Amino acid sequence: MTDPSTPGIGAAEMQVQAPKRSPWRNVSIVWLIPVLALAVSLAVAWRTFSERGILIRIDFENAAGVTAGETAVRYRDVAIGVVEKVGFSSDLARVVVSARIDKTVAPFLDDSAQFWVVQPKVTAEGVSGLSTVLSGVYIEGTWDKTPGAPQDQFKGLEEQPLVDPNEKGTRVTLRAGDGQAITGGSPVFYRGVRVGRTETPRLDASGAVVLVEAFIEAPHDRLLTTATRFWNASGFSVSLGAGGLKLDVGSLAALISGGVAFNTFFTGGQPVKTGQVYDLYDDETVARENAFSRVSSNTITVGTVFVGGVSGLTTGSALFYKGVKIGEVGAISAFVTGEDRQMEVHQLVSLDIDPKLLGLQASATLPDVLEFLEAAVASGVRARLTKANLLSGSLIVEFAEVEDAKPAELEPDAKPYPLVPSVESDLQDVNATLEGVMKRVNALKIEDLIQQAISTLATVESFASNKELREVPKSVVELLDKTRDLVASEDIQALPGDLRQTVEELRDTIAQIRQDGVVARLVSVLESADVAMANISLASQEVPALVEDVRAVAAKARDLPLQDLVDSATGLLQSADALIDTDAARALPASLNASLDEMRILLSELREGGAVANTNAALASARSATESLERATANLPQLTARLDQLVARAEGLVAAYGDRSDFNAETLSMLREVRAAARSITALTRSIERSPNSLLFGK
Amino acid sequence: MTADAGLPAQAPAARGDAHRAGSAAQVLTARDAGLVACTGCGRVYRATQARCRRCGARLSSRDETSLQRVWAWWLAGLIAYIPANLYPMLKTTTMGHELSSTIVGGVIELIDYQSYSVAVIVFTASVVIPICKFIAIAFLAYSVQFRRGRGRGGLARQHLYEMVEFIGRWSMIDVFVVAILSSLVQFQFVASIHPGIAAVSFALSVAFTMLSAQSFDSRLIWDADEAEDT
Repeated sequence: MTDPSTPGIGAAEMQVQAPKRSPWRNVSIVWLIPVLALAVSLAVAWRTFSERGILIRIDFENAAGVTAGETAVRYRDVAIGVVEKVGFSSDLARVVVSARIDKTVAPFLDDSAQFWVVQPKVTAEGVSGLSTVLSGVYIEGTWDKTPGAPQDQFKGLEEQPLVDPNEKGTRVTLRAGDGQAITGGSPVFYRGVRVGRTETPRLDASGAVVLVEAFIEAPHDRLLTTATRFWNASGFSVSLGAGGLKLDVGSLAALISGGVAFNTFFTGGQPVKTGQVYDLYDDETVARENAFSRVSSNTITVGTVFVGGVSGLTTGSALFYKGVKIGEVGAISAFVTGEDRQMEVHQLVSLDIDPKLLGLQASATLPDVLEFLEAAVASGVRARLTKANLLSGSLIVEFAEVEDAKPAELEPDAKPYPLVPSVESDLQDVNATLEGVMKRVNALKIEDLIQQAISTLATVESFASNKELREVPKSVVELLDKTRDLVASEDIQALPGDLRQTVEELRDTIAQIRQDGVVARLVSVLESADVAMANISLASQEVPALVEDVRAVAAKARDLPLQDLVDSATGLLQSADALIDTDAARALPASLNASLDEMRILLSELREGGAVANTNAALASARSATESLERATANLPQLTARLDQLVARAEGLVAAYGDRSDFNAETLSMLREVRAAARSITALTRSIERSPNSLLFGK
Repeated sequence: MTADAGLPAQAPAARGDAHRAGSAAQVLTARDAGLVACTGCGRVYRATQARCRRCGARLSSRDETSLQRVWAWWLAGLIAYIPANLYPMLKTTTMGHELSSTIVGGVIELIDYQSYSVAVIVFTASVVIPICKFIAIAFLAYSVQFRRGRGRGGLARQHLYEMVEFIGRWSMIDVFVVAILSSLVQFQFVASIHPGIAAVSFALSVAFTMLSAQSFDSRLIWDADEAEDT
């Protein structure tokens, strides 16, 4: 239709279009659509790719409920990734979870990152992770807020770490003698308010000390100063003191999982930083006693010399002045003076004094303190050892005002410390005695005490269950019956009547002789006498039989295992008395504390069970022993009374016979033996009645 | 829609013959006769006429940009179809579990649940039909552009084209299901369904392929047929 070769020359009317069409003219605008679609697709793809998180690997011991493609990884309960793969490590020892984590958090995944699987958990302190019951488990991560060198390999934790790196607070280390009362997650209390928690106790490298990391949450961590004291607030504590029996029970949670409490008993401490190490005291009282500011910024050291032993004085022992603690013992060293023969051991004790507690300026220097002490010494103040208290064996140093003290002066220039003159403690002897007692008390093992009590109880039990003992009452009753039979026997009953009759007749005869003349009556008198004699001889013939009977009875009585009984009773009494009279028993209140401490340990072992059952069984057997003993001895006093009665009667009877007959003597001695036996039985009964009770009370 | 349909008087028999024979060899086309039909209302004009006097549509004997537009829409559709398969179609949240499934993933899941019939329906509607459409359109455009059709394939290609046009709209059934599900299943925590990126791109893909099919000038089938014959 067009002729591009001849434009404008001919066929001008045919020239309707440009001679040369751009190839683009034919390109439809629709092509923009696929270009646009491609652009959009690429943009979406690029965005997806760029937003695609990094892949991290987390090793878990086990990964219950973790599902590839479903289980979310969360940070502060916001999903930041998802598990892509769940596999095993090369040796199948661990589960390796590969998760894709949002890019925005990737820079924070440094060595502070911790991951754990959140599962529903019920503990003494509550229920957590309940939402995972419906939604399934998820992996929670936590890390600090500063980006570090990113990692992509992590070790998963078994459970949620006690302290979130993001949580504000202070982490301190507690040093304890044993970690029995503390478990991971035990609460930390301040005045009964929960302000933190502990981690699981661990041993230090040497194994001598238990270290517990505790975390005090902000803002409560500002309550911590260098003057803060921690103590074990686990469960409950029982203490017996001047104020009576005291029972402290913490929260129920603390009872189960243990707990730690802290308080600051005095001011002046410095703020602490993470990592501060504290001692963990056994209880609040001890912590309070140790509240002297060892951390006091300004301590003045003086010294004093004691002659003789300072056993019981240790580093940290208190230094008192007028009943106020002003410092503590720093170091104790010994030196020897004199020649071979007159060698004397002196103890140089350094005393760290806090001037503030002495009423001086906190910033007081050594001369200020020395000036103060010089005046004090001039007015009779001397260093003296004294007992910390009556029960404990420990010594303290006090600056006491000693009347009629030998003149002495402060030695401000002595080396290594200025020396305060000391006096021998006037309580030395008492102290020594007390010390001795206390030593023995200290040496006393409460287990031994209990062991002794148990063995005593066992003796009592075996004694009470002794068959012979049970048979005693029966035999005695038998004996009584026989004696009664004897007394009631006609022969005996008849004797006095016959005798009286004879006497009457004799009296009549004499009267008649007086009246009627001797000879005439003599015959009849003699006859009567004959009759009487015959009667008497008749009676006398019966007497040997009677004596035989009584002898048999006596033999029986002798055969009774009374001696054994008395022996065992005596033995028992002796052991009981020994128990009661021991210093141990007297010191029982003091020992009780120790015992109760042990009980606490015992209680903490209760979870393993058995102990209570054993104790109950022991107590039950002790009780049953006591009961059977009581049953067995209930009749004894009565029996004794009857025996007494019998003896009285028999004595009355026998008295009628006169003093010298063999029968009389034998019967009497027999009866006395019986009575003695009865009395010993009574005494035994009383002792037994008393001693089991005291034993039980003692325990 | 054939160009011949607009031919008023000439050789109706020949037209019938052509249909019967499956060949356009003896057919006199409108273009050959110097005529052009309005694709809007069917009125026939001389080839010099630029616009339909009746309906105002632009008249052209053959749409020269048709193949370009076919290819352009086809490509756009294909591009949109890729993310439609890679990205999740549905995001189902049940009891805190979020589950997102792609089309193929959903089909596999249905098979897992042994809902074979539903799986077949979804697979057919979402995978088989779109892919067949891509192939069909590409085949038509290719055969027309390079005149490589079989001699007597004109009618078959015409049928294929009609089928593609007809079936195109049904591909939207997938998108429709997603739209209904996500508006109906909204029970907060218990269960909720949200459409994923794939739903959008799948809808776009279907729309693009429909436009691609529509852009195809079916008269070209016969031109190609004739070109081969000559």
